[in-house]
Amino acid sequence: MSAPRALNLALRRIASPAGLTKFSPAGRLMQQRFAATTTISEKEAVNSILAKQRLNRPVSPHLTIYKPQMTWLMSGLTRITGLIVATSFYVYGLSYLAAPTLGWHLETPSLVAAVAAWPVVVKVTAKLAIAVPFFYHSFNGVRHLVWDFGKGMTNQAVVRGGWVVIALTAASSLWATFLA
Amino acid sequence: MASIARPALLRQVCNAAPTRRMASTFAGSSLKHPSPLTRRPMQSAFATPGASRVAAFHASGRRPILPPLPQVVDGDVNKPAPIPEPSASHGSYHWTFERLISAGLIPLTIAPFAAGSLNPLMDASLCALIIVHSHIGFQSNIIDYFPEKRIPLIRKGSFWLLRIGTVLLGISMYSFETNDVGITEAIKRIWHA
Repeated sequence: MSAPRALNLALRRIASPAGLTKFSPAGRLMQQRFAATTTISEKEAVNSILAKQRLNRPVSPHLTIYKPQMTWLMSGLTRITGLIVATSFYVYGLSYLAAPTLGWHLETPSLVAAVAAWPVVVKVTAKLAIAVPFFYHSFNGVRHLVWDFGKGMTNQAVVRGGWVVIALTAASSLWATFLA
Repeated sequence: MASIARPALLRQVCNAAPTRRMASTFAGSSLKHPSPLTRRPMQSAFATPGASRVAAFHASGRRPILPPLPQVVDGDVNKPAPIPEPSASHGSYHWTFERLISAGLIPLTIAPFAAGSLNPLMDASLCALIIVHSHIGFQSNIIDYFPEKRIPLIRKGSFWLLRIGTVLLGISMYSFETNDVGITEAIKRIWHA
């Protein structure tokens, strides 16, 4: 112990009322903390730490970090194409219901007349835009039903089936657009 | 002198100085802390909020496609995962019902391609099955992308919007099937227009 520290301790022992009568070891005084502390409940402490950790938690990386593979890409496309077809159906159906009120003409003869007036490029584009999602969703839907029976679950079978669906979709869409 | 005597400060100098200066978008932000020694001494690496700190943990760049919603603490850290209520209409029965609808669509979809179009009864069945199939599809999307725990109100609202939409679509398609030419015949005519 350094000389000034020892002097300080001795002076304190004298100054305190119990200093002369009771012996207090120097070690206890050395442990004393001259800092303010606040008490919070254990639950509060645990939850506040958790909340802070959650705020600093990084968002998990998005799909782009995965290697593009036939399995998950085609599965996702099934949902997307289904949404495209179903949304078009809902939009048309609800418009058809609202048409008399709004003064629109969405009955079949009017639509046929309207589409007949379109240029060929627009017709082909519109037909492809409907045919590709419809055929893709239908063919891949059948593939999903086959999987639901537990068949063709190997990686080779999945990749082969995927290419079959892509080929069927391309062929059917081209047939429906240009030949049908 | 101080950094050698206090390794914690030395670490702060190594950690904070380059990332702050390089990742900051503000030109004057390095002037805010001219020296690491003037920073609050208890500010550790993990307590520093901001993008530069998060970026340091990742090898790839940040892609905030779906930014996180405000975080709330629900219950306690030791709150167990809730056990779902058993229900006869959910789970495997529901799953089988969905597959039956999908499988039932196959012959009804092939038939008009083979026969040209469908008679009114088959056409109405196809239309009804497509409506139910679409409804199930939208439902699955709401369940998957609007989680109950994060956005319960959007989820509830979407479900009601979907229900209203499906009922209105049913009314609309009933009208279409009875007043118009039917769905397969309509597609055929428009397709060949």
